[in-house]
Amino acid sequence: MKRKEALTLIIAVSLAVVLAIGMPLMTGCVPGRAPEVTPKVVTAKIGFLAPLTGPVAGWGLPGLYGDYIWCEHFNAEGGITLSDGTTVFAEMVPYDDEYITEKAVTGGKKLVLEDKVVLVQMLGGADAAAVVPWFTQQKMLSTTLLPSDLTPATLYHLAPIEVCPFYNVTGVEWLAEHLAEYRPDLTADGITFAQVAQDDELGRPGMAAMNAAAEASGMEIVYWELFDPETTDFAPIVSEMIASGADILSWGISYPDYVNLLTQQAYQQHFTGQLHSCTLDFYSAIVEKTSKEFLENFIWQFPDFDDPAMQAPLNPYRLMEPKDFWDEYNAKYPGTWSAVSYEYMCQLDEWMQAVKAADSIDPMKVFEAWKQPKENNIYHVFGEGTWWGRPFWGIDNAFMAPWPTVRMIDGKATIVEFRDQLDWWERNKVTMIKWNEDLGEMWYQRMGIPKEEAIELYGLYEEYK
Amino acid sequence: MELVLQQALNGALLSVFYAVMAVGFTLIFGVMGVLNLAHGELYMVGAYVVWLTYAQGVLPFPVAILAGAGIVAAIGIGMERAFFRPMRAKPLMGLILSVGMIFILQVFVATTWHVGLMKNISPAIKGSVRILGAIAPWQRLIVIPAAVALIGGLWFFLRRTKQGQSLRAAAQDPEAAALQGISIDRTGMMAMGIGAALAGTAGGLMAPIMRVDPYMGHTALIMALMVTIVGGLGSIEGAMIASLIYGFMIAFITGYFPQEICSPATMAIIAGALLMFIVLAVRPRGIMGRA
Repeated sequence: MKRKEALTLIIAVSLAVVLAIGMPLMTGCVPGRAPEVTPKVVTAKIGFLAPLTGPVAGWGLPGLYGDYIWCEHFNAEGGITLSDGTTVFAEMVPYDDEYITEKAVTGGKKLVLEDKVVLVQMLGGADAAAVVPWFTQQKMLSTTLLPSDLTPATLYHLAPIEVCPFYNVTGVEWLAEHLAEYRPDLTADGITFAQVAQDDELGRPGMAAMNAAAEASGMEIVYWELFDPETTDFAPIVSEMIASGADILSWGISYPDYVNLLTQQAYQQHFTGQLHSCTLDFYSAIVEKTSKEFLENFIWQFPDFDDPAMQAPLNPYRLMEPKDFWDEYNAKYPGTWSAVSYEYMCQLDEWMQAVKAADSIDPMKVFEAWKQPKENNIYHVFGEGTWWGRPFWGIDNAFMAPWPTVRMIDGKATIVEFRDQLDWWERNKVTMIKWNEDLGEMWYQRMGIPKEEAIELYGLYEEYK
Repeated sequence: MELVLQQALNGALLSVFYAVMAVGFTLIFGVMGVLNLAHGELYMVGAYVVWLTYAQGVLPFPVAILAGAGIVAAIGIGMERAFFRPMRAKPLMGLILSVGMIFILQVFVATTWHVGLMKNISPAIKGSVRILGAIAPWQRLIVIPAAVALIGGLWFFLRRTKQGQSLRAAAQDPEAAALQGISIDRTGMMAMGIGAALAGTAGGLMAPIMRVDPYMGHTALIMALMVTIVGGLGSIEGAMIASLIYGFMIAFITGYFPQEICSPATMAIIAGALLMFIVLAVRPRGIMGRA
C-alpha cells in the first residue's frame, strides 16, 4: 500500500468513527442509555401596579396580601404543567404607584420591560388611564377593578372580577325594595337619597351609577356632592347631608379612609337613617369608633369570605375555598380585610384557567383563552360569568356575574342577595346613560370624541342606535 | 336654622384648630424670622404619638396629648439648636433646612410604622351633646376648650410673664432685646419649643377626627400658612382673627355653596386661597402684621 492510499484509508476510518460516535450525540441519542430529560420550570411574574400607600392603599395593599397567599398555594400545589412538560410557578412583583399617574407609568414600564411580567393587575382609574394605552401598544395583558377604565381602545385591559361601579345599582335597588321591611319609618313618604364621594375617577362614575339606580328605583335624590379629595374634615359635609333630610346617606365610592371618617361623622351627628356605601372596609375599626348598633343594617357590596353564601361552589375551579382563604388571610394579615382582599386573588383563579387552556403564559394567548370562559371552564368568583360591555363601555371586556348585596346583621357582614346586573341594565339603561353623560363618564366622553363620531369609529351602530 | 348652628359649630372647631396651628407657626416666625415649613410634620408627629400611646392602650387620651406635645417640643428645640441657630443670619437657609426636616420626619414615620392604611384612633369620648339644635360630638367639643386654654395660656405667658415679655421683645427687635440682656438663643429655643408643642397638641387633639398618615401635615401646613399670611406674619392676634375668618368661611361655604356651580368643599379651599391673594394684593402685611 502506497503511503498516500494508507493516509486516505486512515482519514476515512477516522471520519467514520467520528460520525458513528458524534451523530447520536448530536441528536441526543446515546446508544445503550435513555435520553436525559430535564423538566423545564418557568416562573410567571405577575405585576401588581396599585396604590400600596396613601389614602387609596386600602384598595391596593390588601389585594397584594391576597395575591401572596394565592401564589403560595399555587406553587405549593405544583403550579401548572403545560403540554410540553414545562411547569409554571407564579411570583408577585409589586410596584407602589401611590395612585399617582406618573408613578403608574414608571411602574408599568418597569414591570413590563425589566421584570418581564406576563400580567399586570391594577386598581384602575387615574393610574390605569395613564399607563394602559402603553400596555395596549406592548400587547400586555392587564386587569382592573374599574371597568370605567374601559373604552374600545383598551383592547387587552380586562375587568374580570369587579365591575365597579356598575354592580352598585343592584345594592341601591335592593335597598329600595327592602328598606320598608326593617325601617318602615323611613319609607312612609317615599325614600330620599343623598350621596357624596371624592371628585375623581373613582368617585364620579360611582356617583353616576348610584344616582341612576336611586332615580330608577323611585327614590328622590335630595343631595349629592363630589368633594375635594384633599378634604380632611368631613363634619361640614355630613352636616349638609343630614340637613337635606335624606333617609339614606350614601358614601358612594369614597376611599376606605373617607368611609371611616364619614361614618364617624354620621354617628357623632346623631344620624338615625339608613347608611349605604360601595365598600365598608375594616368595619371592625369603624365599630370601635361608633358602635355595633349604629352600623347595624349598613348596606354595602363586599362580603366576608366566611359568609355561608360564599361556600357554595360558585367557582368550581377556584384554587382555595373561600373560608380557608378567609382564615389564612386574617391569621397572616389581621385587621386588613378589605373589599379587594380577594378580588385580585380571584383574578388569578381565572388567569390560571386561561393559562391551562392557552397551554402558555404568553399574555396574548392567555387573553384569547380568557375571553372564552364557557369553553375553558373560567368562572367568576360569584358564579358563571359573561363578557359584556359594548353597550356601556364600548368593549366586551367586563366579566359580568350576579353581584352580592351585603347587610350588617348583628355586627357581621351578611350576604342578603345575589342580583343580576344585566337584568337591571335592560330595564334602566336610559337612566344609567343619562347620569353618566351628565357627569362626563361615558366612554366616548372619557376618550374626548363626539358620540356619533366615536360610534362610527368603532362600528357600534347596533349598540347605540 | 339647625344647619346654620351646626355649621357654626363646625366652623368654631376648625377655627380653633387653625388657631393652634397658626399661632405656633407665627410665633416661630416672629421670634426667629424662620418660616418653619416642617410645622405640618410636627403636627403629624403629635398625632402619631397619640396613635402609638392612646390608641394602643398605653396612655389615657389627655396624657397621650401631653406626651405628644412634649416629644414634639423636644424635636422643635432640637431643630432650633441644630439648624436654625447656626443659620440665624441666613433665614433662607433656615427655610431650606425646614424643608429637609419635612422629608426626614415623613420618611422616618413612613419607614418605622409604614404608610399603608389610615391609623385608626377611636375618640376618647364617643357620644355627642345637643346645643341649641346643633349636635356637638364630645371629641370635637373638647378640642375647643383645650385650644382656647392653650392660646389663653400662651397669651398670658407672653403678656404677663417676664420670659414672655422677653420673647415679645426679641420678636419686635432682636438687637435691642440683646442689648437689654435678653438671650436671643434662649428666646429662640423657647419660641421653637412652644410653637412645636402647639403643633404637636393640635395633631394629638385632631388625631381621632382626621386621617392619620405620614403626609397629613401637608394640608395642615397650607392652612397654617394661609391663616398666618392673612393674619399678618409674626402676629399672634392676627393669626387668631384669621383663624376665625377661615374656620367659619370654610364651614359655611361647604354648607351653602351651590353644588351645580362647583363642589362646595372644593370651593371652600379655593375661597381660602383667594382670600390670601386678595390680602396680599391689598394689604401685604396682613390684618395685624407690622409694616
